[in-house]
Amino acid sequence: MHVKASNVSVSLSGRQVLHRVDLDLEPGQVTGLLGPNGAGKSTLMRALTGQLACQGEIETGGKAIAVMSEAERATIVAWLPQQRVLSWPISVQSVVELGRLPWHGWRRTMSRADQEKCAEAMRLLDVSGIAERPATELSGGEQARVLMARAVAQDTPVLVADEPASGLDPAHQISMMAVLRKLAGQGRTVFVSLHDLSLAARWCDRLVLMKDGVVAADGPPAKVMTEAVLRQVYGITARIGRDDCGVWLAPLGLTQCEVKDG
Amino acid sequence: MSRLRLISMLAVLVIAACALSLLIGPAQIGPMDSIAALVAGGNEAAMVIMREIRLPRALLAVLIGFSLGVAGAALQGMLRNPLAEPGIIGVSASASLGAVLLFYTGLAGASLLALPAGALAGAAASVLILLAISATQASTITLVLAGVALASLAGAMTSLVLNLSPNPYASYEIIFWLLGSLKDRSVDHVWLVIPLMLLGWAALWASSRTLDALSLGEEGASGLGANIPRARAMVVCGVALCVGAGTAVSGAIGFIGLIVPHLVRPLTNRLPSQLLLPAGLGGAALLTFADIVARTVIPERELNVGVVTALIGAPFFLWLVIRSRRELF
Amino acid sequence: MVWFGKRVWTGVVAAVGLFACPVAGLSGPTVASLNVCTDQLAMLLAEPGQLKSVSNLARDPTLSALHERARQYPANRGIAEEVLVAKPELVVTGTFSLHNTTSLLKRLGFAVEEFRYSQSVETIAADIRRMGRLLEQDAKAEAMASRFERELAGLEPLACARKPVALFYGARGVALGKGTLAHSAMLSAGFINMAAERGYEGVAAFPLELLVQNPPDLIILPTTTPGAPALADEILTHPVLKKLRTTVAGNLSRPARLSCGGPFTMQAIHELRTYAPSLPPCRKVPGS
Repeated sequence: MHVKASNVSVSLSGRQVLHRVDLDLEPGQVTGLLGPNGAGKSTLMRALTGQLACQGEIETGGKAIAVMSEAERATIVAWLPQQRVLSWPISVQSVVELGRLPWHGWRRTMSRADQEKCAEAMRLLDVSGIAERPATELSGGEQARVLMARAVAQDTPVLVADEPASGLDPAHQISMMAVLRKLAGQGRTVFVSLHDLSLAARWCDRLVLMKDGVVAADGPPAKVMTEAVLRQVYGITARIGRDDCGVWLAPLGLTQCEVKDG
Repeated sequence: MSRLRLISMLAVLVIAACALSLLIGPAQIGPMDSIAALVAGGNEAAMVIMREIRLPRALLAVLIGFSLGVAGAALQGMLRNPLAEPGIIGVSASASLGAVLLFYTGLAGASLLALPAGALAGAAASVLILLAISATQASTITLVLAGVALASLAGAMTSLVLNLSPNPYASYEIIFWLLGSLKDRSVDHVWLVIPLMLLGWAALWASSRTLDALSLGEEGASGLGANIPRARAMVVCGVALCVGAGTAVSGAIGFIGLIVPHLVRPLTNRLPSQLLLPAGLGGAALLTFADIVARTVIPERELNVGVVTALIGAPFFLWLVIRSRRELF
Repeated sequence: MVWFGKRVWTGVVAAVGLFACPVAGLSGPTVASLNVCTDQLAMLLAEPGQLKSVSNLARDPTLSALHERARQYPANRGIAEEVLVAKPELVVTGTFSLHNTTSLLKRLGFAVEEFRYSQSVETIAADIRRMGRLLEQDAKAEAMASRFERELAGLEPLACARKPVALFYGARGVALGKGTLAHSAMLSAGFINMAAERGYEGVAAFPLELLVQNPPDLIILPTTTPGAPALADEILTHPVLKKLRTTVAGNLSRPARLSCGGPFTMQAIHELRTYAPSLPPCRKVPGS
């Protein structure tokens, strides 16, 4: 499902955080959102999922989300926040089943179909083995996978995840990105924000770089990941290379000044 | 333990407690005669005793205990805080204050509805204050301390209003309002309480799915399509109705909403919505047993039932606090 | 309730009285009463100008049978300071009230007379005579006491098939048992006290169930304070009381007459007796 943001502006506590952002997300792709701290990445994601009021228009599949009820929106967009909160020591199974809440509404029991979606999600994220364990007793990596499984079980055409790989070790980071690619391969629209530039360059089909509330660059990694862009957006120098699997890059240092060639 | 088995066991416990409560009393009536008097008829005095004195008392213990259990479970789900319960965080004391303000000052013209109306208003006001505090502060400790402060304030003001009343009995009645009692309640009280509590239970049940979603935090819950402001309003109304109606009729009874959810939670899958009914049944059983103890432990005298629940609940609370220092909240 | 204005006023009057008005003119000593029960007898026996102040509880209608009369006297809170200012020649108080104050006053050289809290009708006449002697109003006291004894002796047994059973049932299920003035009054009036029969002493919790099992012939319920609601009044509307078909419910016009012993206690006894003809064991069978 297409997600289209036109002219989106958000101001929080009197400060303008997003300035007329235009964005067009396509299904079947993993789109990565990058940018330095304070660029407005989380704000953009919250606006896209309808958590924040904003100026401008946001449409999913041609329908504006502002007119949708919260319940309807939850069947279209799955939102995985950055902060991992688990208030009660509920089992992994129960956490994943929470993802089916938007679908069965007043009905209290899960149908056969609900249970299958949950099982599938847990298989995909490789948490089936720990299904009965209390989610609060898991390691950071396991918790991240469980919460992603919840978002996958929600079975929505659009998945928006705010830094799902943060705090994970390299192996878990890579497997998380592999899962996102698989989901995109199923036809979903996947939008994730990341801090790790190399990870993003290698695993995303498209990158959107933000700085100071505007979109600084937008396109496939090969086109976007250039030294000029990195200097402008992040203020760093980096080694960029290509191989059969994609682009890789390693940040080297800070630039002395932004105008001079590096 | 499967949910069906848990609920059946608790239901049996409630029925047993109720039966025991009906058979115990200062007028020694044999079990056979008691049951006969309750359902069929016969000895006039026995009928009056069973139907007008013992039955209302047993029913009120079940209804109020159920409401306190459910309200405690719902508050814990809403505030994401295992120490939240109507007594500790001052909801019961505020309900007492509201009732006392409206009734003893003669503001409501001493009508029968003054007590429940005041109690409902007091309970609702306190839940709103606590929600406001918990919205800005995520810390558990802050909420509990705020609740303790609220309870102390409400208790002090209740005492003040009662002392200022021109009626000489008023200042003795503070013990009833602060420690609760089911003594000599009549069928009128049962009829008063039932519609209010039914509404309260319905409101809390309606909010329970959102309480489940809140297990993932507020952002996670709203991402699942939960309408958090509406759920908050439902919890406020539900708790106010449940606790307000009970307090209007029996005074403030504390700790039921703390002990029962804690004991019952490990037997469920720990989701707030699954906890409501078992917590209610557990509360009904616990209060009925506590009332039996209050009537029988000292011969010739009756304790206030709130004393019994406090004697069980306060050490339990202390143990929870000590144990939690080893775990993260 | 203490009125600060009155306190100042008491001080001024006391000062004026001490230096300006000679004590001569009164046939007895000036008196201050610190206890609600001694207040009653003092108010009845003192001559004008003799009684300097009564306790503030004397104005409370639930405790003081003569609460209207008490308004003409300055009110004291029963503390030594006030007595020092008023400087009466005699202080009367109860043995159970304000012990600290009593010993302090004695140490300061005041003449203090303590009255035991009268719990039975038999000691009322002696208390009246003693108060009369202290106030040097012996004639008045003798007349009052004699009349009381005459009326007490003249009480005829009630015209009933058997002695009727009565119970004082009050706030939140409390009954008056053996050892209370109400109990003594009930017996003098010709009733049996149900609470005392069951072994209850003093002010004791009486279970509602026992009331239903063996209903008394007469139940005396609390008198409500108009305009001042309290839960204590709930017992008056309890459905159980309506179900006691053989029991007559009544109340006393002035329950305070049984709080302290005095000539007015006789009026309470008479009031109890007025209920007798309507009670089942006392109803006249038509034709006999």
